[in-house]
Amino acid sequence: MFESKGKRLIGFYGFPRREIIDEVRRRYGYEIELVDLDVNYGAPDSAALPATSCRIITNIVDNAISMKDGLVAVVAAVGEDKCDRGRHAAFLLGKMGFNVIESRFDPADYEARELIYSVARMPLADKINRIMDTIVDPSPPSDPPPRCEPTHGFWGVPPNDFRLLELFPETTHVYGWTRCVEAGRPGDLDCETFVDEGVPTVFFTQSFCPKQDLAHYLSEKYNGLAIDCHRNVTGSILAKIEAFIRLG
Amino acid sequence: MIIADCGSTWSKILDSDTSSVEIVSTKDLVRRPDAVFDVATGHCGKRRGRHFVNELVALAEGGLALIDEDDFSIVDVGGRDIKFVRFKGRRLDKLDWNLVCGSTTGATVELLGKYYDIDFERLEPSDKWVNVTCGVIGMERVLEQIALGKSPEESVSMFLHGVVRNVFDFIGRPERFYLSGGFCENRAFLRTFEHYAEVIPLGRTVLIEGLKAVLARGEIAI
Repeated sequence: MFESKGKRLIGFYGFPRREIIDEVRRRYGYEIELVDLDVNYGAPDSAALPATSCRIITNIVDNAISMKDGLVAVVAAVGEDKCDRGRHAAFLLGKMGFNVIESRFDPADYEARELIYSVARMPLADKINRIMDTIVDPSPPSDPPPRCEPTHGFWGVPPNDFRLLELFPETTHVYGWTRCVEAGRPGDLDCETFVDEGVPTVFFTQSFCPKQDLAHYLSEKYNGLAIDCHRNVTGSILAKIEAFIRLG
Repeated sequence: MIIADCGSTWSKILDSDTSSVEIVSTKDLVRRPDAVFDVATGHCGKRRGRHFVNELVALAEGGLALIDEDDFSIVDVGGRDIKFVRFKGRRLDKLDWNLVCGSTTGATVELLGKYYDIDFERLEPSDKWVNVTCGVIGMERVLEQIALGKSPEESVSMFLHGVVRNVFDFIGRPERFYLSGGFCENRAFLRTFEHYAEVIPLGRTVLIEGLKAVLARGEIAI
């Protein structure tokens, strides 16, 4: 649970352009804490969106509403680097009275940053958390984790429920949108659809996310495993991944 | 030793001393806290077995134990889900497990059959189908067909055809595959599938065979 009571906060979601985040921080004060609204902090259900909404988008809206008193601004990724529902969430939050600052990544702004965590040997959840931290602070680590050859792959966005990641070995490489974040090119479809051929890969999406189209296509193309999950993982979803990793 | 495949709707229990297999309704089994097996698999098996084997692993192992071919597909159509494994050169090529969207279709066939008193042995296949996105949506379509004047038999047959198309698409539209689970005993399902692929039914104890194979290799210490 994220403790927001009494705090002034700048919320963001997706991968807003760093110069926009910096501009907002300069305007409102660098002492104000940044909070990633995509993450499940256990905010109460606001019922502002239909039940069949991607859980990440629901997290954004629920988090914003629960933090409303302290949230001085929401920096919202609304371009191809996020999704239509991200754009709609920004619209809805604006209508609710939030101070929304929109960010769109132009392909001309894509970077080509060296991949450190996506190809590292370390627990998958840590890997993904470190990648998402690079949105705010992209400086390379002083003690980078060791690189490894991939035995497995995880493609997709950071899941709502990180228990999903516990089954993967440390030699799992990260692909999809999360890899694009580390590379600094979040709307690059070529980067997003890249996987190493022959590496048994789980293609993960939240249920009701448009990225299910890509996950389905890629899992067929590479004989991987497409899984989707709404809200929290179930025993059956974990069993499916467990079987894929064991038999693969 | 007692080993069991505790599915969502039916449980298959093997006494290895007598080689007898008992098939019981899972709704009865879940009310028996004393029913604990030496080795179990299946959706309801985790709390029922001293040792548990993942059901997709059990299906794969069962397929390899029962089928001599190098390349084959095997699918288990259960009450709650569809499990699929494809082998090439007896090595895993593809697996999948339909859990959420598209699930509970098997159980819905059973529910509809009981409600409308359908004899699946005699039910004529329909060349039409309803969209069975999931059990609930499919059931709504059946009720709609009946409201429009179709007989319950034809409507349920259209539902069954919708399930067949789902399974066929889910397993990659092969020309031939092996079938596991209760639908091996559903003649209307098998006859409907004849329009799409050659189906070789293996019966309801494929996962049990998988457990036996895992045990025979000594991977579980009893």
